[in-house]
Amino acid sequence: MADIGYVALFLALAVSVYSAIAFIYGVKRKHLALTRSARNGLLAVCGLVSISVAILAYALVTHNFQIEYVASYSSSDMSLPYLISALWAGNDGSLLFWAWLLSLFAAVVVLQRRDAGKVLVPYASSIIMFTQVFFLILLVSVSNPFHKLAFTPAEGMGLNPMLENPGMILHPPVLLAGYVGFTIPFAFAIAALLSRRLGDEWLITIRRWTLLAWLLLGIGNIIGAWWAYVELGWGGYWAWDPIENAGLMPWLVATAFLHSTMMQRRRGMLKVWNMVLIILTFSLTIFGTFLTRSGILSSVHTFAESALGPFFLVFIGIILFGSLGLLYHRSDGLKSEAEMESLVSRESTFLLNNLLLVGAAFAIFLGTVFPVISEAVRGVKISVGAPFFNQVNGPIFLAIILLTGICVLIGWRRASVKKLIRSFLWPLVAALMLGIALFFLGIREWYALVAFSLCGLVLFTILYEWFRETRARHRMRTENYLKAFWGLIWANRPRYGGYIVHIAIVFIAIGIIGSSFYDVEKEATLMPGESMTIKNYTLTYENMDYYETQSKAVVTASLSVYNEGKLIDALTPEKYFHQSYEQPVTEVAIRTTPLEDLYIILVGWGDDGSTTFKVLVNPLVSWMWIGGGVLFLGGLVAFWPERREKSTPEQTRARRK
Amino acid sequence: MMLKRLGTIILLFLIFASPVRADATTVSGISGDLVCQCGCMMVLSNCSHAGCAVREAMTTLIAQKIDGGQSKEQIIQSFVAQYGEQVLASPPKRGFNLTAWILPFAAILGGGGVIYVALKKWVRRGRQSQPSAMVEAEAGNEEYQHQLEKELKDFTEKGFR
Repeated sequence: MADIGYVALFLALAVSVYSAIAFIYGVKRKHLALTRSARNGLLAVCGLVSISVAILAYALVTHNFQIEYVASYSSSDMSLPYLISALWAGNDGSLLFWAWLLSLFAAVVVLQRRDAGKVLVPYASSIIMFTQVFFLILLVSVSNPFHKLAFTPAEGMGLNPMLENPGMILHPPVLLAGYVGFTIPFAFAIAALLSRRLGDEWLITIRRWTLLAWLLLGIGNIIGAWWAYVELGWGGYWAWDPIENAGLMPWLVATAFLHSTMMQRRRGMLKVWNMVLIILTFSLTIFGTFLTRSGILSSVHTFAESALGPFFLVFIGIILFGSLGLLYHRSDGLKSEAEMESLVSRESTFLLNNLLLVGAAFAIFLGTVFPVISEAVRGVKISVGAPFFNQVNGPIFLAIILLTGICVLIGWRRASVKKLIRSFLWPLVAALMLGIALFFLGIREWYALVAFSLCGLVLFTILYEWFRETRARHRMRTENYLKAFWGLIWANRPRYGGYIVHIAIVFIAIGIIGSSFYDVEKEATLMPGESMTIKNYTLTYENMDYYETQSKAVVTASLSVYNEGKLIDALTPEKYFHQSYEQPVTEVAIRTTPLEDLYIILVGWGDDGSTTFKVLVNPLVSWMWIGGGVLFLGGLVAFWPERREKSTPEQTRARRK
Repeated sequence: MMLKRLGTIILLFLIFASPVRADATTVSGISGDLVCQCGCMMVLSNCSHAGCAVREAMTTLIAQKIDGGQSKEQIIQSFVAQYGEQVLASPPKRGFNLTAWILPFAAILGGGGVIYVALKKWVRRGRQSQPSAMVEAEAGNEEYQHQLEKELKDFTEKGFR
């Protein structure tokens, strides 16, 4: 079976090479049969890589430990979902998963019914296939997931216990799908450059693809943060680890791209800039994979270390120099039609938003690679950790949040002072009142106070704008408010999807600000029956318990939680001792409310029966996860396809040709 | 000149007034500024390795130094002397390391300048081209009507983006 999987990959590589060349040759020479053959080749690659994935999944489920990958990342006591998730637990599997997703997306691209961008499809397919060639070369050479051992081990190593969490089933595939998704907009951008069709056609074609990739990457990052929070056991959710940064950078640049494409489509501006942004986004997704897979920078993700680094560096070089060179070559056809009527307009806010988003991505990039730069320049090893990123990115993100509120209210072309006052007056008053109320409620750190007030301003401006538009529709159509509200969203999903996403960003910001400035931490060693107090909570240590499962021994400590003398909960932080892993794994106990999380870590215990706990109270953390849900909802609303108009017989005939 | 000075003030403000929690000389305050040397690359207070001996040794040493009456700065410097600069969770704001602290803000300010100049140019161009556009519209009314319809149709299809 393993041999079939490997042969399928080898065939897929050969067909990908053919397909990539045949697409370009066919379209340049107007050789329709060759283009069709390339298209069939692309679909065949999808089929072949799917066969490989199915064989690896089957080998994992049936515990075929002769395959090294199966022996390294699974064991016979693992449940089905985790066995499947072992597909992306190691380098070889996740690269195969990447190639599979790319082949599926490529198949959708060529099978999709489309009104615009048909001419670009062969060029874009060729670029996708070239990318596929890179991943297939890795899979058949240095990263073969079907490599067989000389003997068959009786049992596999199993999954790293830290990875046994629902986050493992969701976070890597969603994040990877986001990464892979950006190949499609990039491919169409290069297609536009190659074919010299430099109008809006490529942007229309990729809007939904970009949105999908952006949404998946965003949700993938949030799931990753949640996973770190509940699993890693240090009380935080974002450590500014290089790999976390690798997921955030393309998302920030893609956010800038999503906004700046509106400028091109509405005003014919920023044509070169849009190309640069999508090239950067795609390069950063490959750079992210390079960081994860090469282990060049130490991080908590370095379980995926290997010798893939040089391959990725060469590929990133080809992408950057190739596409930027092509862009330079075609720059004459990308002259901006930029004309503006006023400095105060949505165009200006979008430009500022682009500057700040790309600036934030640059700051993160610089911080991530600075240890390498420092060692190269000064020969001194340094660390760049959370304090640096928080200090540098804090003000930039705050400015981005402010713009999030302002840009939806400022009209295109020109904003009159009268209209601005009408739009901002009430939200501004409400935000100021919120700031004053928070001050009297005890929020005295000026930075937090400003940040919360800004969040309030953004939230109020969006809600106020929404209310005004609903009221206008209610008056115009004499619909009741609820119907007018839904009608408004449904009639212009991209716009209101955007509003919802902005609200989600505010929720996430509230979670970050609350938990960063007002978290409280306490460590205590208690004997059974003793208590400790943190904020309003009193925790009484009841007893310790021990039990064994097939794969691990579990130590649990029970604590009763009192709030102002009233028993409100019982929590049991745990520690797992896995048979196949030396390091114990901490399972934290979390009590979540909308206001704050009570987070308990079982640190250790002594022979005298004493037990040490680390307890944190993290305010407003749950708003990050709520924000994640709202982000998904907003993205979905913006992504939801519009109803396709029935085509005329002429259009149908034309499509068949 | 005025704009330049304002830019410098904003730059300095952003670098030095960024959100830093004023941590006192406590174990958690100091360990938030150091990196655990066990190889996890996490901030010392966040090292999540269960039973990490290095974390234990470093935090115990911090506690001893606090009890011995040393200041936060003295304690941090003693760790730098032992492990080198890499024990610091963020590069000190001096020498070559200032590049990392200043460059992002300098790039944003520089980019802001470019955007300002470009916007001024576009607004000037927009104002110049407006009257002629109106004349054209009046001259070729039918063509203008056709263009308008096309753009409206385009807007309906593409909507607000």
